[in-house]
Amino acid sequence: MTLTSLDPGILKASHPVPGAPNNWKRFFSFNTDAKVIGIQYIVTSLFFLLVGGLLAMIMRGELITPEADLVDRTVYNALYTMHGTIMLFLFMFPVLNGLNNLLIPCMIGAPDMAFPRLNAAAFWLVPVFGVILMASFLVPGGPAASGWWSYPPVSLQNPLGHLINGEALWITAVALSGVSSIMGAVNFVTTILRMRAPGMTFFRMPIFCWTALSAQTIQLIGLPALTGGAVMLLFDLVAGTSFYRPEGGGDPVLYQHFFWFYSHPAVYVIILPVFGIFSELFPVHARKPLFGYVFVAIASLVIVGLSLVVWVHHMFPSGVPQWMRDLFMVSTMLIAVPTGIKVFAWLGTLWGGKIQLNTPMLFSLGGLFNFVFAGVTGIMLATVPVDIHVNNTYFVVGHFHYVIYGAATMGVYAAIYHWFPKFTGHMYFEGLGKLHFLLTFVGTNLNFFPMHPLGLMGMPRRVSSYDPEFAFWNVIASLGGFLLGVSIIPFLLNLVSSWVWGPKAPANPWKAIGLEWLLPSPPPAENFEDNVPTVISGPYGYGTGKPLVEHQEAYERALQEA
Amino acid sequence: MTTLPTAPPGPTPTHGEGHASHPSYTLTGFIIFLCSESVIFLAFFAAYALLKSTATSWLPPGVEGLEWRTPLQFTVVLVSSSGTIAVAEHFLGKKRLWAFRGFLLLTMAMGALFLYGQASEWSGLSFGFTTGTFGSLFYLLTGFHGLHVATGILLMGLMLGRSFYPDNYEKGEQGVIAVSLFWHFVDVIWVLLFLLLYAWQA
Amino acid sequence: MTSSAPARFNPAAVAAVSAWVGLLVLLSHWLGQQAYRWLPVQASSAAPLVDDLFSLETAIACFVFVGVVSVMAYVLLFNRAEKYDMDDAAPVEGNTLLEIIWTVIPLVLVMAIAWTTIGVNREIGAIGPMDHSHGNTNEAMAGAPTAEIQVIARQWSWEFRYPDAAVSSTELHLPAGRRVGLQLESADVIHGFYVPAFRLKQQVIPGRSIAFFITPTREGRYRLRDSEYSGTWFAANQVDVVVQSENAYQDWLTRAATQPLRPGISDASREYAQQQSRLRSSGYPTVRPAPPPMVNVPGSNTLPHAG
Ligand code: HEA
Ligand code: HEA
Ligand code: CUA
Ligand SMILES: [Cu+2]
Repeated sequence: MTLTSLDPGILKASHPVPGAPNNWKRFFSFNTDAKVIGIQYIVTSLFFLLVGGLLAMIMRGELITPEADLVDRTVYNALYTMHGTIMLFLFMFPVLNGLNNLLIPCMIGAPDMAFPRLNAAAFWLVPVFGVILMASFLVPGGPAASGWWSYPPVSLQNPLGHLINGEALWITAVALSGVSSIMGAVNFVTTILRMRAPGMTFFRMPIFCWTALSAQTIQLIGLPALTGGAVMLLFDLVAGTSFYRPEGGGDPVLYQHFFWFYSHPAVYVIILPVFGIFSELFPVHARKPLFGYVFVAIASLVIVGLSLVVWVHHMFPSGVPQWMRDLFMVSTMLIAVPTGIKVFAWLGTLWGGKIQLNTPMLFSLGGLFNFVFAGVTGIMLATVPVDIHVNNTYFVVGHFHYVIYGAATMGVYAAIYHWFPKFTGHMYFEGLGKLHFLLTFVGTNLNFFPMHPLGLMGMPRRVSSYDPEFAFWNVIASLGGFLLGVSIIPFLLNLVSSWVWGPKAPANPWKAIGLEWLLPSPPPAENFEDNVPTVISGPYGYGTGKPLVEHQEAYERALQEA
Repeated sequence: MTTLPTAPPGPTPTHGEGHASHPSYTLTGFIIFLCSESVIFLAFFAAYALLKSTATSWLPPGVEGLEWRTPLQFTVVLVSSSGTIAVAEHFLGKKRLWAFRGFLLLTMAMGALFLYGQASEWSGLSFGFTTGTFGSLFYLLTGFHGLHVATGILLMGLMLGRSFYPDNYEKGEQGVIAVSLFWHFVDVIWVLLFLLLYAWQA
Repeated sequence: MTSSAPARFNPAAVAAVSAWVGLLVLLSHWLGQQAYRWLPVQASSAAPLVDDLFSLETAIACFVFVGVVSVMAYVLLFNRAEKYDMDDAAPVEGNTLLEIIWTVIPLVLVMAIAWTTIGVNREIGAIGPMDHSHGNTNEAMAGAPTAEIQVIARQWSWEFRYPDAAVSSTELHLPAGRRVGLQLESADVIHGFYVPAFRLKQQVIPGRSIAFFITPTREGRYRLRDSEYSGTWFAANQVDVVVQSENAYQDWLTRAATQPLRPGISDASREYAQQQSRLRSSGYPTVRPAPPPMVNVPGSNTLPHAG
């Protein structure tokens, strides 16, 4: 083949195949293109971020005064239960799967996912269980109101006695979410293991793919356990069995083990890809190679291993034996080590760099700031006596919102801004992006910092009313919460307006290194088609002058000519 | 003139026609799925072991223990069906389609016999799904496993049907390999289950 | 630790890093001392132990957090690209010595915390039951003093029974200066026994009877909060704890024994009744609160309390 024969291969964007760019209807169909599915995931999840956020706004409205006045107590309990469930299962996991879909095939040079139809099916389950969960607001007994943990026996109390009740719908939705996530995980893992471009060895793979691989492995190991536990809960609820009912010989604490065996690792399913995002973005926007690539890659696997043996740190006050408390405390603390390796690697990357403070970089830096804060409070929680005091108080709520909103969601924002030009073909508006960052960063700290003193003072979580001595910090938290509500406006405005009116994006606006940046913006339906480049060096060669792939200039020239 | 990277080995993609032309990763995906699936069983096993070892009274009142001799016979049937499906696979490799079909049918029949044995055991038991923790777990475990046996039989039926499509078995037998793996998996799980439910009665 | 410039060690840099670390240590030490002020008063023997640990952790956390943030601040100040400068920086791909240093330092730090914590745990010893207890028999407690007070958690009220004195109450009275045994039981779902001023917490699990020991050390009125979500009136499932001198406590017991039984404190039943009479329908259906326990001493639910 000659150079000229390259063009038709990688310039598909100019004459799209059926269902490729410029045809918006494909976003509403059973499309099997990973890039379409990726956008479907992200848009769906952002819708649910709004829903979950709206519930949070009502909760913060209730909590701005000590009395239970804005909504009835039963409503408050349903609100926070649904808030947690929606945010995790309908916002966080889907948005990350959206990024996986967009990024993994492009980053490894695969045309698509290994199982495109399975991929589409996994996505379409999301709106299905989303509707099921939303429908629970309409059933007579109201939605589930026993927290996102759904601990029995509270979750088994069914005041109306109906078979179709909020709790049953909740379990169904969560189980379907698990099915969808397992389908996704099988797909991502197979894709990464089998479909890498020639020359892309594991240690030439971008860190995002490492973290996605690690996170999806956790899904494969952890989710089935939760599913098993949830099936038993459902039987207890609707069929009258007594796996968890003490009066029938069951054990409610058994459920806690099942739940946390998955739900602890689940937090690393969330944060690992965000570590991946940081590891991609810092090198690009500081113009330096990732510091200690191999250590960062391996650290992900270490985190996977450790994450599977720490779950009891959520159950310290449930009466587990002392040796278990000690053991799980130590394993939990060990996670600080591989995580620290990553944090310091990012600092090493920034050190002596040429930092460009654009929106993706701002969100990454803000996310790192919040993450380290959340991490050190996590270490406090891991130590048993301190945890016993602050367990189930707002200290925990503060810890996890710092990491889940302050680090993970901000990391997701960073990723959206960074890859927006690549996948939509348009630049976003920098001014709106910076405004979004400013409001988010201030709002996050204003909202979630006050939760720490509240927890230390002894304010329990999940309360619809509280003693007046807690009022001061709660007012500040609520104001911060409302600021976060406002912060979403410039974000949405930016996404919509720049997708429609934004300036056309070049193929590589950040001068970034990576296979995805050797594709046109937006990439054609099958990415590189048959012209998959051969990778010849590691992924972050900034300043080294080493080309990433064979015939790099040919690919770049072809992009220019487009 | 630079020579360009060559496409990965395999047939050239035909576009607009779906993705049939990509190399198939079914087997990789299926193995990953099986590993994941096994964790559900592990979870149920753990629940059984935990609840049993901490219970003050385990068996429902009036129940002395499970009768294990008949189930053992059906266990032998199920376990040997792992052998018959291997034989079927062997004949497929040899392109002896009729022998393949025969042994596949035999395997299906053995699976069905096992299910029959399960059903008759269930109907003879004095306790039900909601009679205490033991009853719940017993039916949960055997039922969930039985569901897998039934699925296996269905999948084998599918393979049997597909074997009548001309050319279908020329390109490779990933589907059959996957089903056979699944069947071995179902067998191994049963052996563990048998040990847990019938052998560990102390 | 992160700022030590790879390869070159010039005296100025060493001095700067040392000064920076010194400053960090001072700041961390100061913040560690502040940590006590964020916590409620110390009213049990466990509280000072927990607080010391928390203070230590605050100091270490401050060191780590401010350490990282100051590096971020430094690079943001001094390592910014000029406008329109899109060039790459000098490529530094890694440094094995640094990797080892920043693997070992956190490892040592967290292991030190873990070690200290295990020690504190042993000292507190009486924090909880320590072992699963099943079917209302608690083997772990065999030989230990039998519980003086029976605590029954319900949806949504707390009842305290003093079997030896034939007293029951919905306000927990405890003697100061001595180890008291409680027997925690739940009539329905999981509740949590939590007195922030004691820094102690324990899930109250239906079907189990959990022995729990407290040594109150400071007289005063504190708050007992349900700490494990237990349904609609979870937030209102709070009562007061009164720690008094041994004499006052015994006095209280004798006087209480003469009181006739009457309904104890249950905010939930009160609110539920109000809702029923006003026919409020703005909420979802709820489990009906258990009737208020019949007790000798309802006690009071008045503010303020010391923590
Ligand atoms: C993405 C989400 C996420 C992440 C990444 C984490 C990370 C961590 N979490 Fe968190 N956590 C949650 C989400 C998350 N958590 C949620 C949602 C809950 C509550 C669920 C619920 O109850 O509803 C929770 C609750 C929770 C608890 C239970 C508290 C309780 O209920 O009583 C504990 C206890 O150990 C804990 C600990 C930790 C630790 C040790 C880490 C560690 O991984 C942190 C490691 C990071 C660092 C330590 C910082 C970087 C490291 C360095 C700079 C090196 C040097 C550091 C030292 C020497 C300390 N978390
Ligand atoms: C990904 C996970 C995630 C995210 C992003 C968030 C985001 C937020 N959470 Fe979340 N939260 C959880 C996961 C999450 N939370 C979980 C798991 C729990 C535990 C539940 C449990 O205990 O069971 C919890 C509990 C929880 C509590 C404790 C409740 C209690 O214990 O009583 C509070 C209280 O302040 C809170 C507040 C907030 C706020 C203010 C935000 C803000 O960041 C939200 C910002 C809001 C927006 C960005 C959108 C704003 C929307 C609008 C302005 C309306 C427009 C919308 C339409 C027109 C549809 N959350
Ligand atoms: Cu390749 Cu379609
Ligand atoms: Cu955890």
